[in-house]
Amino acid sequence: MNGRQDRREDRHGEVTIGILGSRIRLEEKLLLAALRQRGVSFERIDSRKLAFELSRNGSDDGRSAVSNLLSAIPADAVLVRCLSHSRAYYVTRWFESVGIPAVSPHAAIATCGDKMLTSAALQEAGVPIPRTRVAFTPDAALEVIEEMGYPVVLKPLFGSWGRLLARVNDRHAAEAVLEHKKRLGNYIHGVFYIQEYVDKPGRDLRTFVVGDDTVGYETIATIYRSSDHWITNTARGGEAANCPITPAIDLISCAAACAVGGGMVAVDLLEDTDGQLLVSEVNHTPEFRNSIDTTGVDIPGRIIDYVVEVAMDGKSGRWRRRDGCRGPRRG
Amino acid sequence: MASPGRVSGSKARVGVLCSRVRLEEKRIFQALRERSVPFERIDARQLTFSLGKNGSDYVGSPAICSSQSAIPFDVVLIRCLSQTRGLCAARLFEQQGVRTVNTYRALKTCGDKVLTTIALTEHGVPTPQTAVAFSQRTALATMDAFGYPLVIKPPVGSWGRLMAKVNDREAAEAVVEHKRALDGDEPVYVQDYVAKPDRDIRTLVVGDETVYAVYRHSDHWITNTARGGGTSVCPMTPEIDRISRAAARAVGGEIVAVDLLEAPDGQLLVNEVNHTPEFHGAVEATDADVAACIVDYVLGCIEP
Repeated sequence: MNGRQDRREDRHGEVTIGILGSRIRLEEKLLLAALRQRGVSFERIDSRKLAFELSRNGSDDGRSAVSNLLSAIPADAVLVRCLSHSRAYYVTRWFESVGIPAVSPHAAIATCGDKMLTSAALQEAGVPIPRTRVAFTPDAALEVIEEMGYPVVLKPLFGSWGRLLARVNDRHAAEAVLEHKKRLGNYIHGVFYIQEYVDKPGRDLRTFVVGDDTVGYETIATIYRSSDHWITNTARGGEAANCPITPAIDLISCAAACAVGGGMVAVDLLEDTDGQLLVSEVNHTPEFRNSIDTTGVDIPGRIIDYVVEVAMDGKSGRWRRRDGCRGPRRG
Repeated sequence: MASPGRVSGSKARVGVLCSRVRLEEKRIFQALRERSVPFERIDARQLTFSLGKNGSDYVGSPAICSSQSAIPFDVVLIRCLSQTRGLCAARLFEQQGVRTVNTYRALKTCGDKVLTTIALTEHGVPTPQTAVAFSQRTALATMDAFGYPLVIKPPVGSWGRLMAKVNDREAAEAVVEHKRALDGDEPVYVQDYVAKPDRDIRTLVVGDETVYAVYRHSDHWITNTARGGGTSVCPMTPEIDRISRAAARAVGGEIVAVDLLEAPDGQLLVNEVNHTPEFHGAVEATDADVAACIVDYVLGCIEP
């Protein structure tokens, strides 16, 4: 570990990190400060100003295609801090296509951006998740809900900060929410994602994981999020407190990060009444401002250290793209 | 417990996922009957999937509940009109160990023009010059750099909907602003307008075989038959065959329609790859038994 640490610090000056985002929030300020503190050169990339050519009708090697439109992007790795899921999704696919690794990688952004894909990936990897059903029409959804029994939680496939999460305690609520979702239409609400309500003890856990299949995975910090409301997001008033990282928490968090494709992710864990941990969500571009003082962990510093490792792999040609749409595991 | 996705007896079990039964699906059902293959039409509207904790068993319980049975399928042919349902169902079938045709990966790639173009480029398949931009300002700068006329397409969509041919800067400004009002988060996909003859070429690839090629004629620049274009037979050439199969391979497609444009210099360019091809228009123009090809390919996907 120390050897790797030394090597990393020796070579901090050799790589350039692209920071992809449009707005500088507190998280981005802290990340930029960590870059400066380590003497790592970086380039801010405003995703709104990006345009790139997808076709390649010449003999260039891809890297030169990076600079073929509006601006040159001299980066050995890109740290994704886009608020827009759509931008993060397409831009990472393209960066990886021309050989520049992204953190989080496109695979994780594609998977974590959709709760159905997340559940499928977690289940394939044998990571415990709450009982979940997927249906495609309000009628089929109502049947499934009645079969599961109340309470259940309906979640939109996309979205964050707890928006449009609906806890449904009885048939009347189910009918009302389903009718509203039907009226909303579109992809997000055209698939009905229904989960058992896990009777958690007034809190859930959020763990921060960095890593990939090459460098390994590490749980760097864990918080409890407590709330009187069943939605415990700190953006919605949940209170953060430090949570000791037990081997069980570390294992399930790293397994979840690996299942979705790695990078820098936050894993939300629920404790059910038997004390079993279940993964409820994985977030590919987490906010962490409320978790630094709480845990005493330099989360932005740890993120940058990881991104520098990825950049070194990117620069040396060791990095390999992992497919964003992994097929089933067979046999 | 028998693992789903394996043939338990001598009889294969084929599912065809669709909501509506169009002429294409009727022909596919007929081809299955002719081969005495038991199959089930799976109505996506009644299909549900189950994941997660199930008693004490967390993983891998076969739990595809369809209208008629909970018997695992050996292979499911995705013929959903709804892109959303087809994609979602394919991913969850795969998660349960059931082989789908096309695969989730191919459906995902073909269903999104940005992902399609990147995949084609990665595999060296020629496409019209294409760029993607993430704001009105960069979209306009990109279009000025490309030069007019050009085409703006929604990354996700079909039947030629919301495709815009843009002949000058004013049109570009108007379309881009309307796109932003419709969906501010969606990237602007810009493509060079290929001055093709009043037709394009649509081929059907099944497995690694180009089954047919047809011209789609139209006075309108959009030649989609759903928008009123006529169809006639296009003689198969080695070049059409080669580029069609290369496009299918690039997106991971097993049963796909490939749209080709003829550039003024004679070069063929891949315009789009469609993952749930309609073929009734082509069947009248060619004598290819498309349904038979599809069914034989699907049956060949079943693991012994």
